[in-house]
Amino acid sequence: MTTTHPPLHGTGETTPTAPGRRRPARGTEPHARRSPALGQSRLARVLALAALLLFASTWLLPLGWGVLTALKSEQDASDPEHWLWPRSGFTLDRFSEVISRGDLPLWMFNSFAVATAVTVLTVAVSAMAGYAFSRTLFRGRRVLFALTVAAVLVPPQLLIVPWFRQMITLGIADTYAAVILPQTVAPVMVFILKKHFDSLPRELEEAARIDGAGHWRVFWSVLLPLSRPMLAAVAVFVFIGAWNNFLWPFVSTSDPNLMTLPVGITAVKNAYGVQYAQTMATAMLAALPLVLVFLFFQRQIVKSVATTGLGGQ
Amino acid sequence: MSSPPASARTGSRPARRTLPPGLLFALPFLVLFGLFMVWPMAQGLWMSLTDASLSAHDPSFIGLDNFREALGDEEMWRSLGHTLLFTLFSTVPLVAVALGMALLVHTGLPGQWVWRLAFFAPYLLPVGVVSLLWLWLYQPDLGLYNHLLGAVGLDGVAWLSDESVAMWAIVLATLWWTVGFNFLLYLAALQAIPDHLYEAAAIDGAGAWRRLWSITLPQLSRMTGVITVLQILASLKVFDQVYLLTKGGPNNSTRPVIEYLYDVGFTGYRLGYASAISYLFFALVLLASAAQFAVLRRREKQS
Amino acid sequence: MSALPSGPGEPAHTSRRRLLTASLASAGALLTGGSLSGCGAALASDEGTVRLWDLFSGADGGLFNEMRDAAREDMPGTRLERTVLEWGTPYYTKLAMASAGGRGPDLAVCHVSRLAGYAPTGLLDPWDTAELAAYGVRREDFSEAVWGRTQYQDRLYAVPLDTHPFIVFYHPEPAAKAGLLTSDGALDTEAFSSPERFLAAGRELAKASGKQGIAFGYVNDPSQCWRLFYGLYRQTGGRLALPEGGPAEIDEDRMAEVIAFMAKLVDGRANPKSLDYFSGIASFTNKQTAMTLSGDWELATYRAADKKVGAASFPTVFGTPAVYADSHAFVLPRRPDADKGRCERTHRAVAALLKASRVWARAGHIPAYRPVTRTKAYAGLQPQAHYLAAQEHVVLDPSAWFAGAGSDFQNAMSQVLQQALLDGLAPDRAARAMVRRLNSFLSKPSPA
Repeated sequence: MTTTHPPLHGTGETTPTAPGRRRPARGTEPHARRSPALGQSRLARVLALAALLLFASTWLLPLGWGVLTALKSEQDASDPEHWLWPRSGFTLDRFSEVISRGDLPLWMFNSFAVATAVTVLTVAVSAMAGYAFSRTLFRGRRVLFALTVAAVLVPPQLLIVPWFRQMITLGIADTYAAVILPQTVAPVMVFILKKHFDSLPRELEEAARIDGAGHWRVFWSVLLPLSRPMLAAVAVFVFIGAWNNFLWPFVSTSDPNLMTLPVGITAVKNAYGVQYAQTMATAMLAALPLVLVFLFFQRQIVKSVATTGLGGQ
Repeated sequence: MSSPPASARTGSRPARRTLPPGLLFALPFLVLFGLFMVWPMAQGLWMSLTDASLSAHDPSFIGLDNFREALGDEEMWRSLGHTLLFTLFSTVPLVAVALGMALLVHTGLPGQWVWRLAFFAPYLLPVGVVSLLWLWLYQPDLGLYNHLLGAVGLDGVAWLSDESVAMWAIVLATLWWTVGFNFLLYLAALQAIPDHLYEAAAIDGAGAWRRLWSITLPQLSRMTGVITVLQILASLKVFDQVYLLTKGGPNNSTRPVIEYLYDVGFTGYRLGYASAISYLFFALVLLASAAQFAVLRRREKQS
Repeated sequence: MSALPSGPGEPAHTSRRRLLTASLASAGALLTGGSLSGCGAALASDEGTVRLWDLFSGADGGLFNEMRDAAREDMPGTRLERTVLEWGTPYYTKLAMASAGGRGPDLAVCHVSRLAGYAPTGLLDPWDTAELAAYGVRREDFSEAVWGRTQYQDRLYAVPLDTHPFIVFYHPEPAAKAGLLTSDGALDTEAFSSPERFLAAGRELAKASGKQGIAFGYVNDPSQCWRLFYGLYRQTGGRLALPEGGPAEIDEDRMAEVIAFMAKLVDGRANPKSLDYFSGIASFTNKQTAMTLSGDWELATYRAADKKVGAASFPTVFGTPAVYADSHAFVLPRRPDADKGRCERTHRAVAALLKASRVWARAGHIPAYRPVTRTKAYAGLQPQAHYLAAQEHVVLDPSAWFAGAGSDFQNAMSQVLQQALLDGLAPDRAARAMVRRLNSFLSKPSPA
């Protein structure tokens, strides 16, 4: 894992490369992986390593401080004298307090339910629409696709006021449906998937068509299996976005029992006032799910960002 | 490709003959698109012409009054200024630091896995976590940063309550939070640079520095353009971390335009006026997109 | 002004929504919260549960829990489920948004000063006074000053839980040393009865404490300056009327007089100059200062630092007794679905809480329900009994839709005042700037 790069590509069309390994460096030392930028200079390598270490420690420091605080007692956490090392030792009590309060697990469940629903709906709906725009002809197709592409420019922030009003009109204000449905409209994903389907060769489906397969069979049994990596990339991206989305869940939910993680942990307060250690325990627990997922699926997530993050540009 | 009537015949159910299958495939998306994009956009436009409010009373049509008021609204312009300032302050480091990180990681030094985790993990945190963490880091008497400053003999900084510092503090937290995304994009672009370019340069005896300037950076220029565009568009929409860290304060000195429309619409109950500001903001986003599109286009022509 | 929430116009609105709801119900049923039991978004709340939103955390939050426990025997079978939301503007924003959506909590705490921005908008339901009376809560149980602000169009929209005035706290030792206590140990308010005397008392307190005199934490605070200013302004006999559309009717000379006094008070010599809210508290609890101007809600904090901490109603500096205050009250967020059981439960729960509000007095607040403050037990509470009189002269924020606790208005006024106190903005110019801002609030259309 540490010696190979995952295959990355800048856009959907670029072919994967596995750099480093195959690249013969200047001179012939097959055992040493030579970086293209640094060459053999030992000094350069040391400097680069130092810079990396500096960056990495700066970037890990906030999380380290958060974890450290979460492991303290409240008293130690707000002791300005002994701010680094707690006088009464480390404890996991803050974590058990937070978990036993019960709302954090509930918000995690809400986030998970909302993000899953958004992901499933978005991927399904966008893939079908991408197929329609890529493989079928119908009256108005060009106009509708142009509209979809134009809608990429519409920032969701623009719509919070009318959405809020709309949820009241539809009678679904302050429900899961209100949180989920507006998030499922993702013109970018339609665009990305359309371009992706465009890039797939048509020979396979021609064969299926000759066998009498209809659009649904072609879509379901030929194109989708071929598109699994792309669909996974889109799904991962949509899921992360929905999991972390703040503004709309914040506007659309008032009932604390419906809040998602980012909204709940910031809006609802503890009846006993500011408790820094407990707050950090909450934050660290809330951080855990996606960081864990990243540890296990780093390769897929990195790829997803690289393929989908550009929004089809 | 078959013509619409022909493909309709390939569809299995005769009952659907009236709808071409392509439309059926697009239909779920089009329904959601119509319901949650087209309708609200139209409704927002309508509301911007009324005095619609959060309260139960019926809105009445007031023409362009909301837009007229917005154009003369000092606070609106001020908040728009903050948004632009944030965009400027945040885009530069978010692109530059991401590039630096990616170049360093791409040198192939050991521990790839750790570097990627360190730089990208913050991006995976929900903004609620980011804000709780940074509120605590910035806490004036007990936070880490003032402790560290104190340790080297410097005075503590009122990170989030000093008007001259607060915006920078927000930029710093944002940099930490989201730079990993641009970092990954750069890393991907670096790995897509064809090897033979370096090989040729190596044969010419170009040193590491020369290769960076004559191969790597030029090869990355398109990616830099794209990342900058995406970053500007993302930064223009800033709300979450500002709202959670400072509520737009102190003295509204960091309030971005999205927060202003939230404040006006939901805190001040004036949904109609907020809709008008939404549309003014939309115009700004469109303008930025158009400008960037033009710039990218020209650059592509040049190369 | 629009009709009351239950007035005409409502049925049509509801039936249209019903129609839309019905057409979407089949598709949405799976997604709406109602179908996932236990997640709380069900239309009718659970049997026996009253969902309450409040903004009490810290010491207040703990005491509220105690009060709820004490009230339990008066509301058998009813469980009061609290949600504590962040205090300030976001609380009121969220409350209004939840009410607009029609799925707010059964009961919410609201500052009485905010009622003018709520009741006329149709975002609240009125209380049933007959129902309340049945549980022993009547109009004569409350002081007129607060009760008068709970009405809109002759209907009751808020049931006050407390009055919480802006008062003074002091450490008895330096205060006695400075000769500012009467023989029975109460604060000698005569020594504070004019601007000059007040400032002189500050100097005496500084001498007696060996450090500084009077702490006032206000820097970057959204309300502190306004609290001090408005109480004092009303002491001058000045009035403030805010007719719809403006302009504000206010006495600029008297404003300037008060601002000048406030600026002299935070002189940086006898009294600290630039304290924010929390350093204001710290400077008093650490005994860097001998007295502080503060809300009664900080009593628990002060008492934790000094068991004998003294308190008094805010002295009358400008002739007319007036004490800036606000009041926490219970309100009913609008619910389009009438539910008799829920209505009874909420009314009974509120009555039970009021009767248990002696616990609440420990938080420093003056219980609004007078049968509680008339008891001997309350008279024995020190120092609370020393500022009970404050409730006779309380001044709440002007009654306007944009004013009240946690409002932009208070923040805007406090910002101007801060410039006068901290950055040397001349009092008359500060007064004019405040009037300008007032008029800009008035020029905005009321949302009602």
